[in-house]
Amino acid sequence: MTTMFAAGLTLPAPPVTDARTRGGNPRPMDEGRFEAFYRRNAGSLWSYLFRMTGDQAVADDLLQKTFFRFLRANPTLATEEHQRRWLFRTATNLAMDHFRETKRERGHVELSDESGPSMEPREVLRHDMMKTFSELKPRERALLWLAHVEEADHEDIGEALGVKTNSVKVLLFRARRKLGELLTKKGLAPEVRR
Amino acid sequence: MSCPFEANVLRAAHDDEWSDSVRRHLLECDDCVAAAAVAPWMARFAKIGDREHSLPDPQIVWLKAKVLQGTVDAARVARPMTIVQLFAYLVVAGGWAAILTWKWDAVTTWLRGFTPTGLVQNVALGGDSMSLWFFAFVFILSSTTVMLAMHTIMAEE
Repeated sequence: MTTMFAAGLTLPAPPVTDARTRGGNPRPMDEGRFEAFYRRNAGSLWSYLFRMTGDQAVADDLLQKTFFRFLRANPTLATEEHQRRWLFRTATNLAMDHFRETKRERGHVELSDESGPSMEPREVLRHDMMKTFSELKPRERALLWLAHVEEADHEDIGEALGVKTNSVKVLLFRARRKLGELLTKKGLAPEVRR
Repeated sequence: MSCPFEANVLRAAHDDEWSDSVRRHLLECDDCVAAAAVAPWMARFAKIGDREHSLPDPQIVWLKAKVLQGTVDAARVARPMTIVQLFAYLVVAGGWAAILTWKWDAVTTWLRGFTPTGLVQNVALGGDSMSLWFFAFVFILSSTTVMLAMHTIMAEE
């Protein structure tokens, strides 16, 4: 079994265990190691959570919860790449729980349609992109972000979303087609040279 | 990847350089067409600046995690005591309910004996007295209730 995530490296996947199931922790995470790990991974994780929820405060909250869980579970994983996968899986679960709790299946629907005259062009672009992405379901957002930005393979995406690897192909195709339709509707779709 | 050719298609979409082989592949692969249609937009979307403030400080996250872990550990250690305490509440509440149900008539008669009329009647006729066992039981139950209340108050503090 191999995995590919973000860095594009193909690595053997070790068994995933945590502090509750293994006999001892050979290398506990101290504050210094955690700080370095956090600085390397928190930015991209926050971006993912923000694109998922559309709310900076919620993204902050979920980011901290993800790292709290990480420190509590103290997963013993062979490489940082695997720890990173663990983070994204946990963050996805927390984001989905958040949507269930708030009963907002479409997440940040409260984003207004109007961009506002006082907004700078860059802000308008950001707002429009966020608005377009918010029209997808949370799972579709997660699929697209993990596949296109994190460059996760189907196995990792399936693990993060709790779906079978074989289903990821179909779900990803549907999510891409839906986003493509949205972009076409808004006149933002690129020309695909066939 | 949905298709083994997908990486090439995404690269072509990213660079906007479509080779003949990629174009030929797109004619027969819907997965890659869908991927190519959204890839440039997703790349732009990933790059737009989004964070208007700095991330939570890692030291604060570490400290909060430690505090939360302490709370979780304390709750785990205190769990057996909490279970015993709940059991004691149930026993005490059940004891009082049982005694009031079982000896309700005797208790009301006994209480009525403290009214002026009751006192006169007791002196004149000689009142019924409660059994020593009953008073012992009430005494034990009262002591347990007081102990439990004290324990709860001290535990809260």
